[in-house]
Amino acid sequence: MNQSNNPPDSDTIRRQEQQEEPKQPEAETFVVEDEELRNLLVPDLRDFPATPLSAVETNFVSYYAPDFIKPGHDQYVYRHANGLCVIGLAPTHVAFKDEGGITAVDFNVGKSDRSGIKVTGKRKKNAQHFESNTALCKVCTNGNSYIVRCCVKGSLLEVNDRLIKRPGLLNSSADREGYIAIIMPKPADWLKTKASLSTLEEYKKLRDGS
Amino acid sequence: MSSEIETTFATDVYGTAAAVESGASYDDEEIKVLKDAVRALPPHAVNDLLSKGVCVRCIFRLFGICGEAYLRSLPPADMIRIVRESTNADSHVEDSGLKADEHSSCLSTPKGSEVEPDVCSLCLGILQFHYRNDKGTLVKKLSPLELAIAITELVKQEGHQIDSFSLEISLPPLIQENEHAVWLYLKRKFGPENKFQKRLPEQISVKDALKFALATSLETLLGVKSGPTSYRIRLTYTENATSSISSDVAERNGGSKRRKTGSDLSSELLEVTRECIDNHKCEGDNILERDLTDLEDSDESFECFNLPTEKIKEPCCLMFLCYRTPIYFGGRYFKFSRNVSQTRWIIEDERMGEASVEEIIGGSILPACQGDNYKFHAAGREDIDVRMLGSGRPFLVEIQNARQIPSEALVKEVETKINNLENKLVGVKNLKVVGNQGWSLMHEGEAEKQKQYCALVWISRPLEDKDLLSIASRKDMHVLQRTPIRVLHRRSPLDRPKIIHWMKIERIAGSSQYFLLHLCTQAGTYIKEFVHGDLGRTCPRYAKSILSNSFCLNLIKFLLSSQHWVNSGLQGRDTPTRCNGCEDGLFHDLVNHSIVDAYSLLHKLIFSMDEIKA
Repeated sequence: MNQSNNPPDSDTIRRQEQQEEPKQPEAETFVVEDEELRNLLVPDLRDFPATPLSAVETNFVSYYAPDFIKPGHDQYVYRHANGLCVIGLAPTHVAFKDEGGITAVDFNVGKSDRSGIKVTGKRKKNAQHFESNTALCKVCTNGNSYIVRCCVKGSLLEVNDRLIKRPGLLNSSADREGYIAIIMPKPADWLKTKASLSTLEEYKKLRDGS
Repeated sequence: MSSEIETTFATDVYGTAAAVESGASYDDEEIKVLKDAVRALPPHAVNDLLSKGVCVRCIFRLFGICGEAYLRSLPPADMIRIVRESTNADSHVEDSGLKADEHSSCLSTPKGSEVEPDVCSLCLGILQFHYRNDKGTLVKKLSPLELAIAITELVKQEGHQIDSFSLEISLPPLIQENEHAVWLYLKRKFGPENKFQKRLPEQISVKDALKFALATSLETLLGVKSGPTSYRIRLTYTENATSSISSDVAERNGGSKRRKTGSDLSSELLEVTRECIDNHKCEGDNILERDLTDLEDSDESFECFNLPTEKIKEPCCLMFLCYRTPIYFGGRYFKFSRNVSQTRWIIEDERMGEASVEEIIGGSILPACQGDNYKFHAAGREDIDVRMLGSGRPFLVEIQNARQIPSEALVKEVETKINNLENKLVGVKNLKVVGNQGWSLMHEGEAEKQKQYCALVWISRPLEDKDLLSIASRKDMHVLQRTPIRVLHRRSPLDRPKIIHWMKIERIAGSSQYFLLHLCTQAGTYIKEFVHGDLGRTCPRYAKSILSNSFCLNLIKFLLSSQHWVNSGLQGRDTPTRCNGCEDGLFHDLVNHSIVDAYSLLHKLIFSMDEIKA
């Protein structure tokens, strides 16, 4: 709110604060009544960074598979501490470079429709076991289509079926709501897979350089 | 009644016991009880059973005699003598005849039955107080009193403070089989006799007979009454491993697997039949008949029912132990640290968190009760990095085998001790000893529908006043949570509908992007995922009847505008393309979702835990 004008002096800030103060009750600022509890809840912001890490950064370790099988087919693998891997398109994926971005996602590849398999139960019944080069889906742009692959050997727990109706999620937030699938690798398989993937730093270096 | 006989009893039979217990008149009374008991029995059945190696107490219980008759030991020879007396008395209708007949009756006793068998063929020595101890040594106690003394020693040694006790007895399955066999045998052999038919349903079980025999002595020795209580004295009798009888029996009944179900069935049948006979119903009899013929078919004749019993000369192994059933402490706990788990959490030998609520509370209560172990139960749980504040979370600590039940003052002391621990990781309030009902009340608490949380949230643009209004206006918002990735490895993949009852934003002075989100949700809602959206896997599901469209739009706008600011990172895309999928997640871009506090539980819950305290 202070950005639009000239560099604000301390007086103008104070004036603005004074103007805002009477408004606050209308905006229903919630206050915990119990003072002891309040003291515990309200943090000392000096303990926190101005811009904290995002949820994805906090919860996952990012790996990348640049040029997976084919050049420009850059994919990410976000690995959660519990071993699950979220698979998606890296921002440098060649599909994003096409005019208009991604227009359709088709999970009907290979022998079965990946979105048609219902995995159930704690033991993940019906989960299909895929190799790292198994196709997950096909993403289409105006004129081209690209195969997205597992990158990780393991059980396919779910695919992001929202992408069928809203392929645009890939253009807007491929790193979050536009993820492609969740795969559960066996610990031993993961160790092998991990060796073949690039770290965030390696990936950055590779793509920034190009 | 002959005084001579009584003297014989007192000296011969009760010599040892009398040394421990005193009071001749007391003995006299008991002997009278014994004699009366014996006289009430059908003489030829008694003789027959004695000759089959059945012990005196077993004969008593087969004919439904209760109470004091089990206290003192009576050698079979004396029993036969009394039986003779009573039959003679019946024929002569005169007490004076007894003395004269005494000697002759002794002489005419069938050979072998005068000496009590080493091990009763029915109870395997249990009611004779012969058993093998845990070292395998054969122990022959002369009276129940002696066994009671041994038990008392154990109680003293364990150091329990008790105000009453209850006896628990467990017997090997062979006993049940013997019961069945002898029951059938008696029915066949003496069935037609009217008197016997009537007696049959009133049989006393070995367990009850043993209780008759032990309870009084234990009450005297321990100085407390027996009754339903938390303090248990447990006698576990098991078949001697070296005895081959059980396999014999198993074969007779056609395989060990069948035997098990068969004997269970027949014991049930027995129960049923007893009731049925009492009620003069014929159904039970039919079942019994069938059972009987079944058994006969698989065997040579009914005589063989006694065969196993005759073979057995091995007494059971007896283990006795005493313990207190779990006692419970109820209360509410606070967790002030984001590095303390609720329960001990170890992954691959590596400890997660610096401590646990379980260990801090359990470890403090345990020494106060001098128990063996503790178990911690709570109404729900929070993540290791979530604090538990406000009214606290209800919990129960179960103390196993407590030597003492601490006084109210001592409990208070424990509470104070926990609250004054140096590191202040955990706190407790309302710590109380509670009964079993603590369980049900805590489970009720678990099922309570609403929980309050507070999350420190950061969004990628400055917070605006309309955000506060927009958030506060949302009541009972329905959301759909697909099993969070965080727990998907161990939980079933499902869409879990949850309700966010209300939300309120509290500004934090000095920041326009950090704020506190207070929210009240249905129990079981994943708060962190609700806040960051879990890659769009948790999404608000608007109930149109509850929320007007404009509210929805406001929320979406809020989400949109917040998204614009976030984490451009590697993916430097611009705003227009972002607009597509923004209904997903509430604040998906905001962050530091990990700072969540469960700070209060609903009033109803507090109420139910107050009931525990009462």
